[in-house]
Amino acid sequence: MHPSKIPSGIPALDDVLQGIRLGDNVVWQVERLEDYQYFAEPFAETAIALHRRTVYLRFASHPPVLTPRPGLEIIELDPGLGFDYFTRETHRLIEAYGREVMYVFDNLSALVVEWATDELLANFFQITCPLLYEFNTIAYFALTRGQHAHHAVARIRDTTQILVDIYQTRGQMHIHPIKVWDRYSPQMFLPHLVAGDQWAPLSQSQEAAKVLSSVYQSPLLDTTRPIAPWESVYQKLLHYSHSPSGFDETDPEQLALKLELNRMLIGHHPVFSRLADRYFTLDDLFQIRNRLIGAGRIGGKAAGMLLARRILLASKEESGIDFSERLDDHDSFYIGSDVFFTFLVNNDLFRLRLHLTCNSATSRDEFQEIEQRFLAGHFSPTIQEQFRAMLDYYGQAPIIVRSSSLLEDSFGNAFAGKYSSVFCPNQGNPEVRLSEFMKAVKLVYASALNPDALCYRSKRGLGEYDEQMAILVQRVSGMPYRHYFFPTLAGVAFSRNLYAWNDRIDPRQGIIRLVFGLGTRAVDRVDSDYPRMIAISHPHLRPEVGVKVSKYSQHHMDLIDLKNNLFTTQSLTDLLSDGDYPNLHLLLSTMRDHYPYDPISKKMLGSKDQWVFTFNNLIRQTDLVSFIGRILSKLEEAYGQPVDIEFTASVDPVDRVRINLLQCRPLYLPGTLEEVSMPDSLDRQQTLFRAHRMISGGLVEQIRYILYIDPKRYNRLGFEAKKSLGRMVGQINRHPSIGSDKIIMMGPGRWGTSNIALGVNVSYADIDNASVLVEMALEEAGHVPEVSYGTHFFHDLIEARIIYLPVYPADAASELQEIFFETAPNVLLEWLPEAGEFESILRLIDVPKATKGAFAQVVADPRRQQAICFLDKLASPI
Amino acid sequence: MIEMNPFKIAQRQLDVAADRLGLDRATHELLRWPQRELRVTIPVMMDDGEIHIFHAYRVQFNTARGPAKGGIRWHPDETIDTVRALAAWMTWKTAVVDIPLGGGKGGVTCNPKGMSEVEKQRLARAYIRAIAPMLSISKDVPAPDVYTTPQIMGWMMDEYETLIGQHHPGVITGKPIPIGGSEGRGDATARGGAYVTREAAKRLNIDLDGKTMAIQGFGNAGQYAALLGSEILGLKLVAASDSRGGIFNAKGLDPKKVVDHKLKTGNLERFPEAEAISNEELLELDVTVLFPSALENVITAANAGRIKCKISCELANGPTTPEADEILYQNNVFVLPDFLANAGGVTVSYFEQVQNAYNFYWPLAEVHERLDEKMSRAFHGVYQMYLQEKVDMRQAAYLVSVARVAEACKLRGWV
Repeated sequence: MHPSKIPSGIPALDDVLQGIRLGDNVVWQVERLEDYQYFAEPFAETAIALHRRTVYLRFASHPPVLTPRPGLEIIELDPGLGFDYFTRETHRLIEAYGREVMYVFDNLSALVVEWATDELLANFFQITCPLLYEFNTIAYFALTRGQHAHHAVARIRDTTQILVDIYQTRGQMHIHPIKVWDRYSPQMFLPHLVAGDQWAPLSQSQEAAKVLSSVYQSPLLDTTRPIAPWESVYQKLLHYSHSPSGFDETDPEQLALKLELNRMLIGHHPVFSRLADRYFTLDDLFQIRNRLIGAGRIGGKAAGMLLARRILLASKEESGIDFSERLDDHDSFYIGSDVFFTFLVNNDLFRLRLHLTCNSATSRDEFQEIEQRFLAGHFSPTIQEQFRAMLDYYGQAPIIVRSSSLLEDSFGNAFAGKYSSVFCPNQGNPEVRLSEFMKAVKLVYASALNPDALCYRSKRGLGEYDEQMAILVQRVSGMPYRHYFFPTLAGVAFSRNLYAWNDRIDPRQGIIRLVFGLGTRAVDRVDSDYPRMIAISHPHLRPEVGVKVSKYSQHHMDLIDLKNNLFTTQSLTDLLSDGDYPNLHLLLSTMRDHYPYDPISKKMLGSKDQWVFTFNNLIRQTDLVSFIGRILSKLEEAYGQPVDIEFTASVDPVDRVRINLLQCRPLYLPGTLEEVSMPDSLDRQQTLFRAHRMISGGLVEQIRYILYIDPKRYNRLGFEAKKSLGRMVGQINRHPSIGSDKIIMMGPGRWGTSNIALGVNVSYADIDNASVLVEMALEEAGHVPEVSYGTHFFHDLIEARIIYLPVYPADAASELQEIFFETAPNVLLEWLPEAGEFESILRLIDVPKATKGAFAQVVADPRRQQAICFLDKLASPI
Repeated sequence: MIEMNPFKIAQRQLDVAADRLGLDRATHELLRWPQRELRVTIPVMMDDGEIHIFHAYRVQFNTARGPAKGGIRWHPDETIDTVRALAAWMTWKTAVVDIPLGGGKGGVTCNPKGMSEVEKQRLARAYIRAIAPMLSISKDVPAPDVYTTPQIMGWMMDEYETLIGQHHPGVITGKPIPIGGSEGRGDATARGGAYVTREAAKRLNIDLDGKTMAIQGFGNAGQYAALLGSEILGLKLVAASDSRGGIFNAKGLDPKKVVDHKLKTGNLERFPEAEAISNEELLELDVTVLFPSALENVITAANAGRIKCKISCELANGPTTPEADEILYQNNVFVLPDFLANAGGVTVSYFEQVQNAYNFYWPLAEVHERLDEKMSRAFHGVYQMYLQEKVDMRQAAYLVSVARVAEACKLRGWV
């Protein structure tokens, strides 16, 4: 006997197959579950008898293949949580169980019902089999014959070691080995009659012909009746919609089919599903499917964009507001989420992804290597053909390839730029354009593995969720100017204003960040360049006056260079030097005597050196702001949740603004999702500070550390020392104890500002592990907490759920217990022995140590505009 | 540090000069207090329909030498005492440059950063309506100051003219040029500073050509100081700084390029071919002329001993503390005190008023020529006092201006 042979429990079968070996994956293609049980049962029984670890992976709704018994480990998995999750879990199990384990899987065909396509089933098999082989296991799988597309079965056949057809004909069971890797006998691949101790091959031609012809009606044609809902649901709906009575949503079966199609395209998310069920017509869904490359879902970004448009267009009937005349049409395409996995599986990237987590600490260099591996990958000819058709459709119009992952843009998980979007100028001959486009898609795919995204997922506890990457391909909106292409206006808008820099601004009315050119500059952090911030409640206010208007304005723009086929950034002065770009009078003001004068006519007069982008006349003379305000409020109402949108806009010759809605996603507002209640009876000694003008809210308990930067001493530091102190804060932030224990960071002025005179000089990466960030106003030193233009910094705080609180020590209501912060033991040098020179300024307080066991707690209630930080129990005197 | 009441500080400065001059009790007492002040409460309808109540002031500190002259400040921390103090300083400033004007100041407690342009216009007009009884070309002539702009002056002038029903552009200065502003206002402060520096160098026997200058603070005055220091004085710019820090190159920096860089990027960081330098280091550079052009109290007892420049031309208000003045004087650092060195602005304001009265406007060259003459003469007046009284230049300037105001009061028979 071959040293690695393991008895199957049926000696006759071992004879036919010349023994099953360690490393074999055995796929039984059956018509009935009982036929699979016939082989699986003795296999498991024998393995248990031989004291081999035997595991039954139970995931289907069909009756159990194996019943519980001593020695059999039954593991239940839920394929309903998605392909990604299921595959990860299976792999984790296989790796945990280790070598030479005997596996029996439920019928794989059940997976298709959950995952909608045969493609994903084949993907699962193609990546799981090699792992089982590596672990020298034997695994039994079943597949229901005739229910899967040929190409999927072919991929399974190519991957597995053994594939055996089982069929019943005239009351007798036959087995027919289709593939037995590395084994051969002259009669092995003939059908065998399952009878007696020795199974006879049907070597007689007459017998064989009779049996086989009754099983395979037309062996060369694909006569399968796929059960994969992707196709079957669509075909049924198509049938209904083409029937004389048309699609009838009142018919429960037809409605159920429509909801199923919705689920396959949009996903399971309760709110997205609810909105999609309500707003998408069958035609909408067909249109999505007609513009879908490959199969699978279209992802959060695409779904958000489509839903938002549909909600707005429906509002004419619902509330009488007609957005249709002012909203641009869209002609986007989608690359289905299955294409991503097939790409990973076919290019040997799936397991790489599986093993990359936040803990693997991929460096930027390593990520570049990963990117190279993605760029070297190939798409299947079918997919490439669809890419070609799409590019033919767009011609040479610039397009953008945007990540639209399934978790992205879901509620509370705005990935905010963690995944890539890549512009394709789309110039050149068809082959060049295809190659550039595929490169863009691969880069977006690779971004799913970028360290930031992995960390973000891990920090949000999303690491284990199904995350497939769909792609949204959008036409870049805009018009050509010289050899460039860009939209006149682009921006992002939030239905709630988290940046109200002044008490007069109503945070419930939202805010717009507006730029000239491509919207990348409104979304991304750009050094020394600023979008115009427009508070919808008070559009004419801006946080700065005089000469600062010029500084806090846009100086560069992003655009597509059609001549050189690239996405680029240009100085506005250079680009607009001819002054012939349309509607400049709406966008610019002229800076004279340190004051921006708005143009008095449609001509831009005066020196171009003095031009500054204020958008003042646009705000005053068009209804852009109120129109976007109406859009936001309609979307927020429909979503039942604050939202943010991305848009481009143009102005027609009669100064009417048109909007192209590119994206809509729920906006996560800290503190508004959970009710917090302020503690009502606190001993004064327990209170560490109070804040009563604040922006974000929430509850943080069990805070162990407080980092307190003494504002007065800080103010006396020199420039270099202030810089070094900022770096020290970063080191504390990255200390291994932070993460397991929570920390409050408190210090003077505006954090995260590049102007060191205004406050603690840190970047987001220096504070991202803090739970609460407190900006202390020390007005005598000019330290006024005002998040001002640290908007990205502030957005990062919101995203990271860091509670932001301004405290005004001079104000008696702030109840700042300076004595506690100044006298509690400082453990700074235990953490950073080299920080001796900062010991008097940088105070790291181990709260339980300083209070004999109490922890700090912060409760911030944005509705009542009150926050308090207190010790969770009255400890010994502090 | 406990913030002193600014008006108390202004009174104390007067007391020192009055003692040295030996002013009689009545004159001294008269000069310690504003001659006339008005507090007003102004309701303004905001864009959102709410009525906001603003508190505002106008102070005429002394009008013995002519109509009150002084800016209108819009600031959240504005109080009657800041306005009084600044009105007193305006009195000494107009006197030191010997223009026939008194001193005044106005203020509105408000946050211009939280107001739209339309709201600012409503406030500007409402303020003028409220203080109109105090204004006229022969009584009190306001001008722009903290957070007020030429545009706001334009609105204010228009409101005043609407009230009196006739053109009267000279009632306010610092207007945009198309509606009666003067040429040469933009660089007037720095240009005046350059002229007095030139005159000082002559007296001190320093040939400025090719010598070095450093500029602390690179706002409007600092930027023009860089350009004009080079153009008028032949100085080589070796260092400049703003609130984020500075740049240095011993071989010289091209002032035009530095200004362009600042205007484009908002700061001096990353200016090519220069090394980084802190504000503190810049002040202590061994240069011929230092232009402190940024904040108050940057030269203190702590660093005054290390200041190595020959001339410190104070374009900023109050850059040197009294203790530091003493040390600089001992160390032969020649200080051109703020209210002399930065009086170019008010002088061109005066020119605007004169041109408005004649309804005839001078070309730029004429403005420059007349400014040069006024500033040079002002310098020599103070320098004479400096030699005669053997005090530092700041004291000398106080003595000149207080004496001039006191004399006017006497001649009028007030005291």
